[in-house]
Amino acid sequence: MKRPQLPPDLAARARPVSTAAVRLLPLSAPLGPLFPDGALRRGTTTVVTGVPGLGATTLALALLAAPSTSGSWCGIVGLADPGVAAMAELGIDLSRVVLVPRPRGGWAEAVGELLGGVDVLLVRPPGSCRAPLARRLAARSRERRTALVVLVDRVGDWPEAPDLVLRAAAASWRGVGRGHGYLRGRLAEVQVVGRRSADRTTSCRLWLPSGTGCVAAVAAPAPADPEPAPAPEPDTAPERVAGAVSGVG
Amino acid sequence: MERLIAVWCPALLHEGERGEEVREFARIVSVAESFCPWVDTVRLGVCALPSRGPSRFFGGESMVVAKLAAALAAGAPGAGEGDGGGVYVGAADGLFAAVLAARSRLTVPRGGTADFLAPWSVAVLRRTELAVTLQRLGVRTLGQFAALPARHVLARFGTDGAACHRVASGSEGELLGLRDPGVDRRPGVARGDEDEAERPHQPGFFGGRSAADVRAASSFARVQDRLGVEEVLVGRLQGGRSPAERARLVPWGSRGTAGPDSTRSERATARRGDRAAPAPAPWPGRIPAPSPVRVLHSPVAVEVVDRSGCPVRVNGRGLLASEPALLSVDGGPWQEVAAWAGPWPATERWWSTRRRRARLQVVTGAGMATLLSAERERWWMEGVYE
Repeated sequence: MKRPQLPPDLAARARPVSTAAVRLLPLSAPLGPLFPDGALRRGTTTVVTGVPGLGATTLALALLAAPSTSGSWCGIVGLADPGVAAMAELGIDLSRVVLVPRPRGGWAEAVGELLGGVDVLLVRPPGSCRAPLARRLAARSRERRTALVVLVDRVGDWPEAPDLVLRAAAASWRGVGRGHGYLRGRLAEVQVVGRRSADRTTSCRLWLPSGTGCVAAVAAPAPADPEPAPAPEPDTAPERVAGAVSGVG
Repeated sequence: MERLIAVWCPALLHEGERGEEVREFARIVSVAESFCPWVDTVRLGVCALPSRGPSRFFGGESMVVAKLAAALAAGAPGAGEGDGGGVYVGAADGLFAAVLAARSRLTVPRGGTADFLAPWSVAVLRRTELAVTLQRLGVRTLGQFAALPARHVLARFGTDGAACHRVASGSEGELLGLRDPGVDRRPGVARGDEDEAERPHQPGFFGGRSAADVRAASSFARVQDRLGVEEVLVGRLQGGRSPAERARLVPWGSRGTAGPDSTRSERATARRGDRAAPAPAPWPGRIPAPSPVRVLHSPVAVEVVDRSGCPVRVNGRGLLASEPALLSVDGGPWQEVAAWAGPWPATERWWSTRRRRARLQVVTGAGMATLLSAERERWWMEGVYE
């Protein structure tokens, strides 16, 4: 006996939409594949890292683009000298983003307060962050269901085990030569290391940013790069992150 | 004077070591918020809500007071006893009278504030010095105090005494210092409204602000309290050539930002303005997108030299005199220049303080791209494409 054919969209319709969907914040399409749910999950900590110049800051800011345009409030703490024009080009709705560029001694206080008020908080700790403080802030972000994005130079600067690590591993600029052209885009390789539901290591190539200033997916798997990519950073320890699961739950 | 319903919890007026009072008060505030969203936490143990809206909805003020008292008593730990769980609810004109009315579980009719206040002792004004002096003068109740001529009170007790006099005579609703500014934030922090936090952004009624907007605005205001108004900023786009000129950071809450005090039309223009902003008027000579992610607040001095170690100059025709080979930022180590683009000369403000600058994009061997500008034979770093 053959079972009757089920409508193809039945599974999509039967899936619980309200319970899980409200825990997720949208992401712009090129960034979706980096995240286990294709979206930014509330209450999680994402660490964005990379040698300065390889696009980590751009990547971290790009995470705010879709949430801010969909009406979520975003905060940026500790990112001195933010390029507002670049933020607008990345697609961030500037009226929904509040910046605290130089919190000085009040860094932790500002982060703690904003975790209760915004949906996505991008944080750049001054140097390395002490472990108890990081644990407290991560706990508060879980409690307040705020997506915390931490931008650090090395993974070890954020002592708390994050849910996801995005590492700008290599990058090369396009459009500029020896005295001609202009910067048109940065082809970057982003490595993703996760834990729990995202326990995997993948890498992904992105325009970070593309010629219009926003993040774009690379159309086809790019052929071997003619320019030598910078050597990967030695001091990022994905094993350390994947192993340090205990203690946070 | 606004008509208010006040809730007074004598057991919660002082915060204990374990903070149970704050948590319990946060619960009371959230119950009150189910009646009316504009609940004002006056101090720990006291909150007030406007009477007009809920009265129209629930069919009269007495109904609201009764329902609120029942709802608050139902959830209280000591529920079931006759004292309503230690929560007192009352209504009157103005906050001062409303809190006193709550203490006696009364609803003072509109316009009856002065009569209601008359028998209370002058000590309820919480001005010790004033109360002592008045009692020595034989003025023991608020009614006797209110009967004194206002100009004599002003002459004898100053502006604060005059304010107390206006409150005692029922012409003003609130006394300065009645609120505890520190308490206002604590119940808000302790309130665990997770469900609300997760709800997608529903706009408030009639284009008003949603709960998320209110929560965000209050957290921004608290950060401004701690760090200063100028430290919490919102970005704005404007016309200009360099990335630094194209954007401006303004304090949160200033005109045009969706701050707490902005009117609805201002918020609407702010929203519209930002939607329209990405397509400003053309600025010839502008560096095309992408813009640097870091725009340095104060430019950093940079040295650029060619193969032979001589500084690279921009000549009068706007061209580089020699090819850049090495670059040192702020006296740091020399980095190899892998690629560069430009220079793009710009002569600006020829009508006042003329500035001749030339901008250059440089990519170092490590893959770091920077935006440099040359002015008066010196190089500055304006931005970094991090």
